[in-house]
Amino acid sequence: MSELGAMRDQWYPVAMTKQLTAQGRDTLLMGAPIRVFADDGGTPKVTDGAGRALPVIDRFGHVWTSLGQPEKDLFTIPEVDQPGRRLVDVGVCRVRCSPLRAVENFLDIAHFPFVHTDILGSEPHTEVERYEVEIRDDVDEVWATKVKFFQPQAAKSAEGGITTDYMYRVCAPTCSVLYKTCPPKPEEWDVIALFVQPLTETLCDVWPYMALYDDDAEMTDLIHFQQMIFVQDRSVLENQLPALLPLDPGREIPTRADMTSIAYRRWLKRHGFTYGAQLVAA
Amino acid sequence: MILYDYILSPSCYRVRLLAALIGRRLDLRAVDVHPGQEHLSEPMLALNPAGTIPVLSDDGLVLTESTAILSYLAARHAPDWLGEDTPAMRARVAQWLAFSQRLTDSAGAARAHDMLLAPGDIDALRGQATKALRELEAALSAARRRGESFLAGNRPTIADIACFPHVALAPDGGLPLDPYPSIRLWMRAIRALDGFVEMPGIHRLHELKPEPGPMPEVIRKEQA
Amino acid sequence: MIESDAPVTLDDSGDTVPTDWTPAALSDDIPAASAAPGQLGAHDLAIWRSASGRIAAWADRCPHRGMRLSHGFVRGERLSCIYHGWGYGEGGRCVRIPAHPELAPPEAIRVPVFSAAEASGVIWVAEDAPDSPPPEFPGLAAFRSLQVAAAPEAVAAALGGTGTVIEATLAGLSVVALIQPLRDGAAGLHLLAPEDSDPAALDALSAAVEALRRRVEAAEEAAA
Repeated sequence: MSELGAMRDQWYPVAMTKQLTAQGRDTLLMGAPIRVFADDGGTPKVTDGAGRALPVIDRFGHVWTSLGQPEKDLFTIPEVDQPGRRLVDVGVCRVRCSPLRAVENFLDIAHFPFVHTDILGSEPHTEVERYEVEIRDDVDEVWATKVKFFQPQAAKSAEGGITTDYMYRVCAPTCSVLYKTCPPKPEEWDVIALFVQPLTETLCDVWPYMALYDDDAEMTDLIHFQQMIFVQDRSVLENQLPALLPLDPGREIPTRADMTSIAYRRWLKRHGFTYGAQLVAA
Repeated sequence: MILYDYILSPSCYRVRLLAALIGRRLDLRAVDVHPGQEHLSEPMLALNPAGTIPVLSDDGLVLTESTAILSYLAARHAPDWLGEDTPAMRARVAQWLAFSQRLTDSAGAARAHDMLLAPGDIDALRGQATKALRELEAALSAARRRGESFLAGNRPTIADIACFPHVALAPDGGLPLDPYPSIRLWMRAIRALDGFVEMPGIHRLHELKPEPGPMPEVIRKEQA
Repeated sequence: MIESDAPVTLDDSGDTVPTDWTPAALSDDIPAASAAPGQLGAHDLAIWRSASGRIAAWADRCPHRGMRLSHGFVRGERLSCIYHGWGYGEGGRCVRIPAHPELAPPEAIRVPVFSAAEASGVIWVAEDAPDSPPPEFPGLAAFRSLQVAAAPEAVAAALGGTGTVIEATLAGLSVVALIQPLRDGAAGLHLLAPEDSDPAALDALSAAVEALRRRVEAAEEAAA
C-alpha cells in the first residue's frame, strides 16, 4: 500500500448515489477491490476486499470513500446549496488514462478549438490570455482565476459566441471544480465538477457533476451536453504518452497557457500525491 | 421527423450523419440512456418494445432499426444514397447493411463495455470485431484497386453510413485502427464529405480548414 | 532495434540487400496531407506526408503534452497536434503555438525526427541516416500492408524465407514480402506484386495472404 502514499487518506467518488442498489457495485479504488452498496435502510456503505467497512460520505450526488483515514472532511461546493440551481448527475465514463491526466485536461482551455471544435472554441480564436494562478494555503487548493476564452457555444443555454470567464479550483488530488459564465444569470457562475475515481494508475472512472442555473433546458439535454464534451476529450486522454503524468519538469513543455497545470503538478508533488504520476523523467 | 436520440450512440449517429449529408433537419428528442436508462422506461417501450434507440417517428410511421431509418431517409429525400444503379450495387449495399450489425454487436459492444461499463466478454467481443475489421479492410483495399473509394462503388451510400460510426469509434473499445490503412483512407473520404458532422470520439478534419492568420483585431479588442 | 550488421537475404541465389531500413508502410496508404501511426522497434512513429508530397517519420509524441502526433492534422508543410494545435515543420521544429499566436516558438521545441525514404511504393524508416537508399524492386508495385499476430520469424517461415525481404510465390504470382517486427510479438507484412497483374489475380493474392495469416496465427495460438 506504500505506493499510494498520501493519496491513501483522501476521499474518492466511487458511485452515483441515485444508482446505488442493495446488490451494489464491485469496483476498484487505487488497485484495491471495494464494494459499494445500499444497506437495508438505503444508506450507502463501502467495504474493502476483506469485508471491512470503509468510511463513507454521501455528497454531491455521489458516494465517497477512502482506503485510509482522511484527516479532513470532503471539500465543499457552497454553490450547490443555492436555491434555483439544477444539480446534474452526468453519469460515469471510463477512461484508460491516469486519473491525474483526466484532471489536468479538465483544467486546460487551450485545447477547446481543436477538441471541442465550434462548441467550446474555434479557430482563429485560439489565444489564451494571461490569467492568475495560486496555491491557496488556507484551504490548500489550486485556484486559477481571470481565465477568459472565446466560445462559439459555451453552454447548452448559450446562443451564439461569447467570451466566457472561467475560474478553476483543484480541491482534491483527483477532483476539480470549474466556475464559468452563466449565460441566463450573468451575476452568477455555473458550476461544473469533475470527480475522478482512480481504479488503477492508468484507468479511471470519471463522474462529471454540475450545478447550473438553467430553467429552460431539459435535464437530459444538460446531461448529454456534458457527456459530449467529456467524450470528445476521452480519445485524447487515451493517447497521451507516457500514460502516467510526468511531475518532473523536462519531459513535457508547458507555456504560459499551462499555468494551472504547472501549479497542479507542483501541488501534487508537494503533497506526495503521486499515484498515477511519473516522478523521474523517462 | 422526430428522432429519439442519444449523443453517444453510434446507431443514432448513423441517422444524424445521413440527415446532415442530405441536408434534412431532424427534430431530436434526447433520451437519457446513460445513466437514466430511459430507453427502458414505459413510454419508450411503448414506442419501441425492443428498448433500443434510435427510433424515428414520421407521420405515424415508427422505425426502430437504424439501417431501416437510413433506407427510409434516403428513399424519401436522396435516392442516390440507396445505391441502386445495378443489381450488383444494390446487393452490395444490402450486404454491408447486414454486416454493419456485426460491427454493432462486436465493436459497439466492446465500446459500451470499456466506456460505459456495459456487461460483456471483452476478449470475445474484440476478437469478433477484429475479424469484422479485417474483412472490411480487405474489401476496401479491393475497392481501391478498382479506383473506388466507398463500399458499394464510387460514391457513398447508406452502406458506408451504416458501417462508419462503429468503425471510427472502435478505438474507444480498445481496438486500435493502426493495422487498417484502407479503412483509414475510407474514413477520411467520409469525413471529408460536404455536410459531414462529427459525434463525440470522432474529431474534425482540421486539415480541411486553412491555417488561420493572426487573430482578427476586432476580437483582440473585444477580449481585452 | 535495427539489426544493421545483419544483411538481409533477398533470394535463393544469395543476393543480399544490405539495408539499415525498416519497411513501415506503403506510399499509397499515406497520401498527401495525411498522417498515420507507425513503429520502429520500441519507437512509436507518426508517419506523415505534407501537401507537397514530402514523407517524414517523427516520434509519435507532441513535446507539449505527450499526445500522439499521428492523430494530428496536416496543413501545407506542417503537422499539427490534435490536442492544442501546436504546428511542427521542417526538422520537427515547432513553428506555431495557437494559444500564443504572436509567440515565435523557441528553437528547443522539437519533435525527434527519424529517417524516412520511399522506394518501389514502400515507405522505409531508420533511426539514423543509412548510407544507402532503401532497396528498389523493379517490376513490382506495392500491394497491401497487413498486421499478423505472430512473430516475424513465423511469418517469414510461412513464406518460405527468413529475414526482412522474402521472395515468394503466392496465388501463382511472384511477390516480395517485406517483414517488419512490431511490438507485442506481432509482424507487419508489406507485399509487392508484379506491376501488370490483373485485378482478379490480385484478388486471389489478397485471399491467399489472408489465408496465410489465418494459418500462421492459428499455429501461434496453438503453440501458446
